Amino acid sequence: MLLDYNRLGWLRVALAGFTMLVAAFLLLPVVFIVLLSFGSSRWLAFPPPGWTLKWYQQLFADPAWIDAALTSAKIAAMSAILAVVIGLFASFALVRGEFRGRQVLRGLLLTPMVLPVVVFAIAAYAFFLRIGLAGTTVGFVIAHTVLALPFAIIPITAALEGFDKSIEDAAIVCGASPLQARLRITLPSIRIGIFSAAIFSFLASWDEVVVAIFMASPTLQTLPVKIWGSLRADLSPVVAAASSLLVGLTLCLMIVTALLRRKLSR
Amino acid sequence: MHGNSLRRGSIAGLPAGSGGALPALVLVGLFFVVPVVALLLRSVTDPEPGLQNYAALFGSGTYVRVFLNTFLVAAVVTAVTIVVAFPVAWMLAIMPPAFGSIVFGIIILSMWTNLLTRTYAWMVLLQRTGVINRTLMGMGITQEPLPLINNLTGVTIGMVYIMLPFMILPLVGTLRAIDPMTLRAAALCGATPFQAFRRILLPLSLPGIAAGGLMVFVMSLGYFVTPALLGGTSNMMLAEMIAQTVQSLLNWGLGSAAAFVLLVVTMALYVLQLRLVGGKRPAGGL
Repeated sequence: MLLDYNRLGWLRVALAGFTMLVAAFLLLPVVFIVLLSFGSSRWLAFPPPGWTLKWYQQLFADPAWIDAALTSAKIAAMSAILAVVIGLFASFALVRGEFRGRQVLRGLLLTPMVLPVVVFAIAAYAFFLRIGLAGTTVGFVIAHTVLALPFAIIPITAALEGFDKSIEDAAIVCGASPLQARLRITLPSIRIGIFSAAIFSFLASWDEVVVAIFMASPTLQTLPVKIWGSLRADLSPVVAAASSLLVGLTLCLMIVTALLRRKLSR
Repeated sequence: MHGNSLRRGSIAGLPAGSGGALPALVLVGLFFVVPVVALLLRSVTDPEPGLQNYAALFGSGTYVRVFLNTFLVAAVVTAVTIVVAFPVAWMLAIMPPAFGSIVFGIIILSMWTNLLTRTYAWMVLLQRTGVINRTLMGMGITQEPLPLINNLTGVTIGMVYIMLPFMILPLVGTLRAIDPMTLRAAALCGATPFQAFRRILLPLSLPGIAAGGLMVFVMSLGYFVTPALLGGTSNMMLAEMIAQTVQSLLNWGLGSAAAFVLLVVTMALYVLQLRLVGGKRPAGGL
């Protein structure tokens, strides 16, 4: 009976109540920060004594915030494109290749996701200092592509494993070149995987803090580095405004994802 | 996986053998393996060859305390996460999809929201004059503001918040895979709900709990941002100590040695986790 929703009895009430509480707990910081960003209190008093847009005005009036956001977007977009392209080729080899050490290779390519970021952060920092890439956009993109790669490989290999290769073979039998078959049959069939890969690897770079803290220079800061710096200084409501915009972005991304997935899976 | 059709792939235009993995291998080899190995070598060569960095690490009460505290925090976070996640996953596994999708939406929203944003929100919520303390004092539960931040309580709340989705989502899968008939059979044979839970539901979901719990534990061990912002100086965790040793103290040898310890522990637990879930990791979210 325990796995039958309609026969749980009193347990259902308890479980549903607890689930509501946890959902509220998960929602609390997100809603709270958005509300606070419109509050007039400099000291983030809640409920706010009045409502205002001045934190947003301060945010948009400060070129450092705008620069940081643009830098983040640029680095995340480049890292995501690189991770998806490199991940796509790697996924074909991992799923279809028949060579010794395929599982070891898979494990190696996924390791950047598992290793604590702080270890990679100081390792990459030391290495990039030596080869002159620390504090550069190229260095940022390389480090973030390494971190984003597992997030590209996992959904693409999953999609590829679920794709019936005989369809691609059929296209070749019907006269398509192997390349044509890949481009016109296989890639469209695994597009949801590729799309997930793009979203995940973009977020992996966009939200990345630890490597960014080490890699940043006074002239090159990503948004998380800018927020990190502000948080260490004080809990200014401007951070709440920036955070609310990030929450808005997350919501947009969720809606776009849901819509696209519905459209793509037709 | 696809049987014999695999071999024919090698005639295709795009690399189909091992060739396709080459760019990824070069990227990860050159910019991941080389830097990490170089860092680990530094732990036995900087400032001079020898094991003095490890001796300093394990010989000092301060650093040993950091190790112990790291394991303590990770264990507490994992335990709380499991206890909170299990009932939610249970409900989500059997709930009508209409309600369930709302809860899933909230989980994804919290998971996809910027990590610093979430941590910042908890810093504001938990501070001395924050909403939670004011509410508690307003309701007369406490006279003085409770110390909720810069200590174990703050880190636990912040970390459990971040880890919950990583525990709930895979557990839902485990619970959905259990045949409800086994529980119906238990009830027919006279088991009370508690007996059915303890003897059937819990053991059957144990692989999922173990795999998810191990993942949460491993992630918590190496976490940097949340402990650094919500924790106190007296209970520093390993990742923050490594960053500080390198960044502020510029002691690369000691920092590398600590990084090596973190790496070994993490990788060992990761391999154990892979054994439990058979090589598949949930990608979460999508």
